[in-house]
Amino acid sequence: MQHERLLLGEAKTPERLARPAFTLATPLRELVQAWWIARKDLAIELRTKESVNAAGAFAITILLMFSFAFDPTEAENRAYFGGLLWLVFAFAGALIFNRGFARELPNECLDALLASPLSPSSLLLGKAISIFAMLVLVEFASLLVFGVFYDVRWWRHAGPLAGVFLLATWGIAVIGAVFGALTVNLRLRELMLPILVYPVLIPLLIAATELSGTLFQNQPFSSDQLLWVRLLIVFDVVFTALAAALAETILLN
Amino acid sequence: MEGFMEARNLTFLFYGFTAAWAILLFYVITLARRGAQLKKDLEQVKRLFQTAPEEHRERIEESVR
Amino acid sequence: MRDRIAIALAGAAAGLLAWNLYKMFLVLPDEAMQGPIFRILFFHAPAAMVGMTGYFVALVLSILYLSSNQLRFDALAASIIEVSLVFSLINIVTGSIWARIIWGVWWTWDYRLTSQLVCILIFAAYLMLRRGIDEPTQRARLSSALCIFGCIDVVIVWKSIEWFRNLHPGPVLSIRTGGGHMDPAYERVFYWNLLALLLVGISLVLIRTRQEATAREIDSLRRLAHAQ
Repeated sequence: MQHERLLLGEAKTPERLARPAFTLATPLRELVQAWWIARKDLAIELRTKESVNAAGAFAITILLMFSFAFDPTEAENRAYFGGLLWLVFAFAGALIFNRGFARELPNECLDALLASPLSPSSLLLGKAISIFAMLVLVEFASLLVFGVFYDVRWWRHAGPLAGVFLLATWGIAVIGAVFGALTVNLRLRELMLPILVYPVLIPLLIAATELSGTLFQNQPFSSDQLLWVRLLIVFDVVFTALAAALAETILLN
Repeated sequence: MEGFMEARNLTFLFYGFTAAWAILLFYVITLARRGAQLKKDLEQVKRLFQTAPEEHRERIEESVR
Repeated sequence: MRDRIAIALAGAAAGLLAWNLYKMFLVLPDEAMQGPIFRILFFHAPAAMVGMTGYFVALVLSILYLSSNQLRFDALAASIIEVSLVFSLINIVTGSIWARIIWGVWWTWDYRLTSQLVCILIFAAYLMLRRGIDEPTQRARLSSALCIFGCIDVVIVWKSIEWFRNLHPGPVLSIRTGGGHMDPAYERVFYWNLLALLLVGISLVLIRTRQEATAREIDSLRRLAHAQ
């Protein structure tokens, strides 16, 4: 269909913006650019505190609601605390990464960013870093409240717990950034984002739940559970690489 | 008891096959309806070209060819 | 031409299915421990296999689209995913009915069921995404990216849930067990049915792709008409 190909520009190869060649300095340059983006978002967040406040309040509310659904004083229910906490973070995180790319829509800031010499992958990575930072803040606040409400002495295992939290949160941040970018121009963005993100996050949530649950019950990691640590690392590496590779496809027209 | 279990087993086998075929049939019917709708839309769009004035119609036919 | 191939394939599939049904019900004896309900396996497992194959073929097509920018790859990928979703649904429903008899429950959080459910959710979201975007190139680009993420995730989800839970029967086909738990007579019908379902799937994909092409033609003619 000749007319179709001409209308959609399919017949011509799209011209790419001239971009500096890939050298050893490229990853460093990408990271620096990502950091600029992250800094910008975090500066905005510091002034307005919109996402973190909303997500934090939401997290604490859900923790409260869960205390009615599962009585925290019952001994058998303590086995569920890991899963409970990560469900809270998954839902609160949705509030954060919903805003991630959507905040660039007014005044066509997203178009400006895409038209700039910034590479799309550093834009995506920068967004992921800012989502990561905000989510870690919310998680820390929730953990304090959780320790009090649910009587879990998590600080005894602060080291391994921090490791698990950082790995899992990075996974959530990357997936949230990628799908946030994918859905930014859709009319049904707020509906599509949770539908897309949650199934993909399942392996990560399983691993985080298993590991956190073990630590909350004051048990050290068994060798079986190192499998889950490996899963977290593989998940993070694979999806970060995939995000960097597909950033241009997702963001640029 | 054996006879009852056997009967239940067969009943569920029947349900299973019915479900599988029903899903497939439902999809085929959806496809057929979508196809009919597309055909109607195609006719409608082609008619748009026929109602255009003479000079326009020549230009359109040029680019469609 | 393509329509004729689709009809021929559908006819072959119908013939094969009829023959298999005859074999299944009138020739093969009941399975020793499960009884008649075992015959569901002949549709349950092949449907899953056809579905899974479809998703990975769609992955390849998505990558092809992104490298070549030809919309027909995207149309083919979308058709394949839609048909694969139907087969995955057949898999889950027949499995659930089988489970009601053998395990006594409609559903259990075994790893294969859970992973298949997650798979269905991801690719249903793919179809929802496509519905939500009107512009063809943007739709193709974003759905290809989603398909790549989805397929890689299906692999990770499958493995992770497998480590997490274990109840579903283990491998029974002789290619997996190298000797086999399934009687050779059963296996033959199984593979013939797999072929039959594959043919059904391919003919459905051909019909669906034809419809995608028609939709694209309508879309471009409409743009042309409004542009004038």
